[in-house]
Amino acid sequence: MKILGVSAHYHDSAAALVIDGVPVCAVQEERLSRRKGDASFPLSAIQWCLDHACLEPDALDAVVYYERPMLKFERILTCALRAFPHSWRAFPKAMQNSLGERVWVRGIISSHLGVPSSRILFTEHHQSHAAAAFLTAPTRRAAILTTDGVGEWATLAVGHGERKPDGNTEITLLREIRFPHSLGMLYSTFTAYLGFAVNEDEYKVMGLAGYGRPTMVDQVRRVIRRTPDGAFTLDLGYFEFHTTTERSYSDRFVELFGPPRNSYEPIDLETAEGQRFADCAASVQRVLEDTLVDIARTLHQETGLTDLCLGGGVALNGVANTRILAESGFERVFVPSAPGDAGCALGAALYADRIHFHNPDRDVPDHPFWGPPADGVELARLAREDGHRFEELDDSTLIEQTADDLAAGRVVGWMDGALELGPRALGHRSILAAPHAVAMRDRLNRDIKFREEFRPFAPAVSIEAADRYFELPPGGARLARFMSGVFPVRKEWRQRLAAVTHVDGTARVQVLEHDMAPRLHTLLEAYGRRSGIPVLLNTSFNLAGEPIVNRVVEGYTTFRRSGIDVLVAGQTRLTKRASPLANAKEEVTCSRSVERSSAR
Amino acid sequence: MIFEMFRPVHRWIWCDAERRAHKLLRFGETETDGGRDLVRASETTPDSLLRRLYLEHAIDEHRHGVMFRRRGNEILRSLAPGSNSSFQADWLAPSGHGVDDLRVDEEPDEALLAFLHLSEKNAADRFSVYRDVLENDIPTRAIFEEILRDEVFHMNYTLTQLARVSPQRHGRTLWYERLRRIWKSYLRMAAALGAVMGGFILTVQYFVILPPFAWLAKRAERRESPGWAPVSPQPNRPLQRQY
Ligand SMILES: [Fe+2]
Ligand SMILES: [Fe+2]
Ligand SMILES: [Fe+2]
Repeated sequence: MKILGVSAHYHDSAAALVIDGVPVCAVQEERLSRRKGDASFPLSAIQWCLDHACLEPDALDAVVYYERPMLKFERILTCALRAFPHSWRAFPKAMQNSLGERVWVRGIISSHLGVPSSRILFTEHHQSHAAAAFLTAPTRRAAILTTDGVGEWATLAVGHGERKPDGNTEITLLREIRFPHSLGMLYSTFTAYLGFAVNEDEYKVMGLAGYGRPTMVDQVRRVIRRTPDGAFTLDLGYFEFHTTTERSYSDRFVELFGPPRNSYEPIDLETAEGQRFADCAASVQRVLEDTLVDIARTLHQETGLTDLCLGGGVALNGVANTRILAESGFERVFVPSAPGDAGCALGAALYADRIHFHNPDRDVPDHPFWGPPADGVELARLAREDGHRFEELDDSTLIEQTADDLAAGRVVGWMDGALELGPRALGHRSILAAPHAVAMRDRLNRDIKFREEFRPFAPAVSIEAADRYFELPPGGARLARFMSGVFPVRKEWRQRLAAVTHVDGTARVQVLEHDMAPRLHTLLEAYGRRSGIPVLLNTSFNLAGEPIVNRVVEGYTTFRRSGIDVLVAGQTRLTKRASPLANAKEEVTCSRSVERSSAR
Repeated sequence: MIFEMFRPVHRWIWCDAERRAHKLLRFGETETDGGRDLVRASETTPDSLLRRLYLEHAIDEHRHGVMFRRRGNEILRSLAPGSNSSFQADWLAPSGHGVDDLRVDEEPDEALLAFLHLSEKNAADRFSVYRDVLENDIPTRAIFEEILRDEVFHMNYTLTQLARVSPQRHGRTLWYERLRRIWKSYLRMAAALGAVMGGFILTVQYFVILPPFAWLAKRAERRESPGWAPVSPQPNRPLQRQY
């Protein structure tokens, strides 16, 4: 059975293809369209998935959309009505937005793909999150907790799933918290207040929190109150996201926390104002963690299960995930590589396969590499045409050479195999560097990523060596498989891992098993033989404001525009020559004189 | 040049330091965005010389973005806190590639080069006016001066390359691109007007039709208890339904 999953129209659209119960491929639209967080209907992603599997659309048994658009529209309309008359300015925009293509999803899918509308299915948003979390995890029974900004109505849901011995699958969501009461919206509101981009820069709030003290927890608790049944409500007097599209926090919020940060102004932690922002981030982070830990603990007591699957965009908050693992009572916590809405494309397809069509349970490969491949031959062609020095090496020579490069302090762009699904580079589209010196961190921030400096870089370490450098609790290595947790760097190593250790002594480490990314694993070992520490700095292969690179040519232009010293794709290794930039201008001058002489 | 005629207006727009800072910051964003489009162009073109040129052009635009942002921030920092001039006059003094929208993937090189040539020409015209009216802010003026030199290079290489890739028809392509720009600005205006009219009609409906429903919705909301809500007990609500 061939099932296409689609997520779109909110943030980060994606498509995923499941054939006979197993994912075959999945990719986010932004990686193909090259527009960060692209939320448009993912035509390119769908096209790539179908091409990859050599399928025509009419061969699809079902196309599953990741939420119920009419239910979402109902929520938008109801919220406008509830906020009457304050919603008068937001109402026309909301209607124009929703009544565009967002509501007519069935029509859009059938017109683009020519699939009969009877084959188009809709899951609920949090069912998709739950399926993406549970059905991709190597567990047979687990509790499920999904949290995000909002889907249709739900913003948080709890339940459990079971893959039964007879091949049947069950996913049961027990209860939910509904919009506008939302942990995701709370965090996004603080993201906006702190001058960062909503739906994109939430990780910066988490990074900034490391520099602050939670001195404003009491104020945050006035904004989000716990209810007697263990849930929470937002005091809507502090928010405007439910009434306007312009601003998510209200004047009362500003009275409580002080003036918001101007996004253009850099945060200076030496000043009282900068410290206030850091404290504010630390406070909302603390409240978010406390609330999640509490809800997870209750869920653990209620279900008696040992495994927990986390889904929804909030599950990208590694600090909170680590506390859930440590304090809720669950022994193992699973977070997929794409817990956000992009992963819902895969979740929706798997949900339809197991629950709607009752297809027998299958193991889903435990890796994030579902996208287009990187083609080293293509890199060789580009390098040849542009007159760059390149080599095509056999695997072991290439890895040894790359380890030499890294040990010599060079920054390496690393492209290997299929692209990751989700926001993190997990070894196939990474920028790698030596993790030891603060100077390396600063160089990466300044010359390569062009971004704020308070965000820590992540390390990658082989699973064999992980415990030596990082304090991993039981279950920690699993959480770190897709960089979903934040763990202390052992004190004795902090100085030698300065480029990847956050100000609070932690790191968002990726613990790598050989089978998941064999070449990177071998590289880690080769680097360890040279430096004595088999740890590398691993950050996503992109520049600030751009999606992670997909094709080799995108890696190549990123390499050319930044301070990356070496680019590796497949078997090809490319290095920078002295001043490549002068050449194109010279060429134009040449071609001009050629033109002139030929005109004569 | 129509743009030249508004020199006194531009002098007024640029005289306020805070407005100037915000303009520079916004210009910074536009230049960076323009740079990304050019990166995309370099990634999609089959012509290897164009790939190199687009990429170099992209690097220039990125640098312009950095320069504008840095200067904007410098000016902001030098201002007394709390000052606030909200009127930005963006439509009067647009940035380099301001109102241009570009679907790089869909354009053949010929059309893209014509598009870029005209954009760069516009940008150069605007920036030279901005430079001239900034006689009291020497550092900002120097930035425009430096950027202008690049824009002239961009303007020239796009024309030369257009003549190379389309030796027979480049004049026609340029005219076609000029007409397309006019058509596109008409479409933009029409869409904006449509949105305003649509917004107006929806606002009228909001106040005329919605009040009784709003009353009902508020009443229903008051009955809702805060906290957990049960998830409907039909786990297999048919997936054919959109609601
Ligand atoms: Fe979601
Ligand atoms: Fe420029
Ligand atoms: Fe330019």
